[in-house]
Amino acid sequence: MNLPLNEKRKVKLPPWAVAAAVIGSPWVSTFHLLADGTTDTLESLKQQIQQLDQKVRVLERNRELDNEAADDKTNDVPKITLDQKGFSFTSADGNFSISLKGILQFDSRTFFKDGGIQGNDGFLLRRARPIIAGTVLRDFDFLFVPDFGGTSGSAIQDAYLNYRFQPELQFQFGKFKSPVGLELLQSDPDTYFNERALPTDLVPNRDIGAELHGDLFDGSASYAAGVFNGQGDARNSSNADFEDDKEFAGRLFLRPLMKSNLSALQGFGFGAGGSYGDSSTANALPATTGGTTPGYVTDGQQQFFSYRNTVVASGRHWRVSPQGSYYYGPFGLLGEYVIAAQQVQTNTLNTAALKNTAWQITGSWVLTGEDASYKSVVPAHPFDPSAGHWGAVQLVARYARLDIDRDAFPSFADPTASARSASAWSVGLNWYLNRNVLVKTSFSRTTFSGGGGAGATAPAIVIRQPENVLFTRVQLAF
Amino acid sequence: MLMTNRGSARYVLSMAAALALSLVGSLAKDIKLLNVSYDPTRELYEEFNVAFTRYWKEKTSDAITVQQSHGGSGKQARAVIDGLAADVVTLALAYDIDAIAEKSKLLPTDWQKRLPNNSSPYTSTIVFLVRGGNPKGIKDWDDLVKPGVSVITPNPKTSGGARWNYLAAWGYALKKNGNDEAKAKEFVQKLFKNVPVLDAGARGARTTFVQRGIGDVLIAWENEAIMAIKESSKGQFELIAPSISILAEPPVTVVDKVAQKRGTEATAKAYLAYLYSETGQEIVARHFYRPRLESVVQKYASQFARVKLFTIDELFGGWQKAQKAHFNDGGVFDQISQANR
Repeated sequence: MNLPLNEKRKVKLPPWAVAAAVIGSPWVSTFHLLADGTTDTLESLKQQIQQLDQKVRVLERNRELDNEAADDKTNDVPKITLDQKGFSFTSADGNFSISLKGILQFDSRTFFKDGGIQGNDGFLLRRARPIIAGTVLRDFDFLFVPDFGGTSGSAIQDAYLNYRFQPELQFQFGKFKSPVGLELLQSDPDTYFNERALPTDLVPNRDIGAELHGDLFDGSASYAAGVFNGQGDARNSSNADFEDDKEFAGRLFLRPLMKSNLSALQGFGFGAGGSYGDSSTANALPATTGGTTPGYVTDGQQQFFSYRNTVVASGRHWRVSPQGSYYYGPFGLLGEYVIAAQQVQTNTLNTAALKNTAWQITGSWVLTGEDASYKSVVPAHPFDPSAGHWGAVQLVARYARLDIDRDAFPSFADPTASARSASAWSVGLNWYLNRNVLVKTSFSRTTFSGGGGAGATAPAIVIRQPENVLFTRVQLAF
Repeated sequence: MLMTNRGSARYVLSMAAALALSLVGSLAKDIKLLNVSYDPTRELYEEFNVAFTRYWKEKTSDAITVQQSHGGSGKQARAVIDGLAADVVTLALAYDIDAIAEKSKLLPTDWQKRLPNNSSPYTSTIVFLVRGGNPKGIKDWDDLVKPGVSVITPNPKTSGGARWNYLAAWGYALKKNGNDEAKAKEFVQKLFKNVPVLDAGARGARTTFVQRGIGDVLIAWENEAIMAIKESSKGQFELIAPSISILAEPPVTVVDKVAQKRGTEATAKAYLAYLYSETGQEIVARHFYRPRLESVVQKYASQFARVKLFTIDELFGGWQKAQKAHFNDGGVFDQISQANR
């Protein structure tokens, strides 16, 4: 309250107020002093807190950066992976890798009304293959596949080196499948039936050679062309050549609508494979004597045709195989036709150019709705009963036929021991428990015409009556 | 019957034509490009890739997917040398691309002559970003070496942007002290004594300053500083242009052997050429890089600070010499770091 000084003098304060003022004035001054000091202290504390806050933030940020650096170092460490694709080691930069994989197929074959053939029913270790695959220096792939299963003893199935210059341009050297037959080129664990169909009898199997191959237009087209030692129909190469002549083989396969907007046509593919060469030895023919493999065999792998043991290959050998496939959702279709022509000669110098033909059509339907493809079905819900998941189930059916050139009989093949044609139908059910385990069963019936006499050699007994065979398989592939 | 046959023939012909068209359509290629770039260009190339994809589709019918990879420029260069299959590299400085050319032989050593402006379709410079109200009163390089000023800049060993920052500071000190190298070294040593965190790249340094709230000043690419201001609330940050700075020329090039192997060489060349087009330059300017094309330069002149700029060739004799003297192992930066410990 601001009053004129003279007015102030006129104010009379009560004695208690004067006493209070006298007693309280030092405290007021002290409070003023304290207030000034506190402001400074608070300011100082505020600065200290800010500095501490900055220090904490810096420490936290540096720890964050240390963690990031540690993560980066982790990325520099080679990776070890064990999953459904096998066991693999990969270098930190991805330039080197090695994978351990495998295929194990445990089969049973049961023949009905087979005329008393001994030794064809039973269990069979069809394939037992450890697989070593890998990459060196980023662009060089290799594959090594021995097989300890089957009926013909252990053998090297695949052993090759592939250089990927670009996806469109790759060079492959070694032992691998000759690029002719559609179903033969399908990977062994992916085939719909235990055994491939009759056209596979007419195309070369694995051979040793060099091949140029690649995928064009992001996979809309693929090609392969190579030079090989040359193999007889359905034959697997040994590790060395048996003659000087070489065989040229090639294949072109197109999926022109793969990227179109018409989803129903995206899975349509067609193409052709073929081979050309000269052969002048019996090794270039299917087996010439009895037995079960190789040669022209039924679905049950029983030989139904062989050349006489006096016949040898004596010249041009060519094959042509138009082929196609179609996949749309759970539906799949695969078909191929093969013409295999071979110049042959008897020991009496009787010669002929024989043309054998075969074809097949195979359909499939995945009952559980997953997509069908050239590869195995991938179950949407892998087998897990506790979760109510049962994997994927696929219904498969096939019809196939193989015709031997009429001129083969009787000079080059014994009509009493070999059939002139075989027709086979098959139905089956494949149960994919997961990506790695498959259980399948199928029934095949093969009928014959143009043969079946009472010959002394094994094939004769095979073709006296239709072949009825029930297959089962338990397969592990990873 | 005749009509029916003609109708059938037309139907077959139209189906054949449709199939032929589908076949032709299916010949259009799907191309994937990988652009390996440095830290702050993420947003620039996100917009540019969309524009180029549209342009290329109209021109050739080919569909393009451009993948981006970002990180500290030096780190990115090492990744390419170690095998990252980049079709193009768009890095912070020429030295990093020189290193790719020399060590991996994936492109010729004279790569910088292949495109206009030393293969730098845009430029930038180095400025300061301070907190709102500029509480430490920072105006020029001298303020960064004062005690108690906390400076954020990334690690010159891994970041191209950091090397530009370092050389800008060095250049300032040289010019201020009559080209006295010792005084320049002393100045930069003092500056780095005030740096509490060394991020690997420019984007990380921006995170440290803007999001983690560390430091009083961020030495930054001009485009990063402007973007930080635009993305923050009003008054939160201010851009301070120093009296003098360096002209930064981030270069671009095709990685020849990778592009040839992947069949993308023509597309990769067109991709980089499109950076020089009017559309490309507009996008560059919209992301606060300084364009080269005069018409675009004029249009966006007001968004860039007027700073006196020197080039690396003028003061350091080019990137090779600067790298060798300052950033190689045992170089001046290592000496400074050792002394500051």
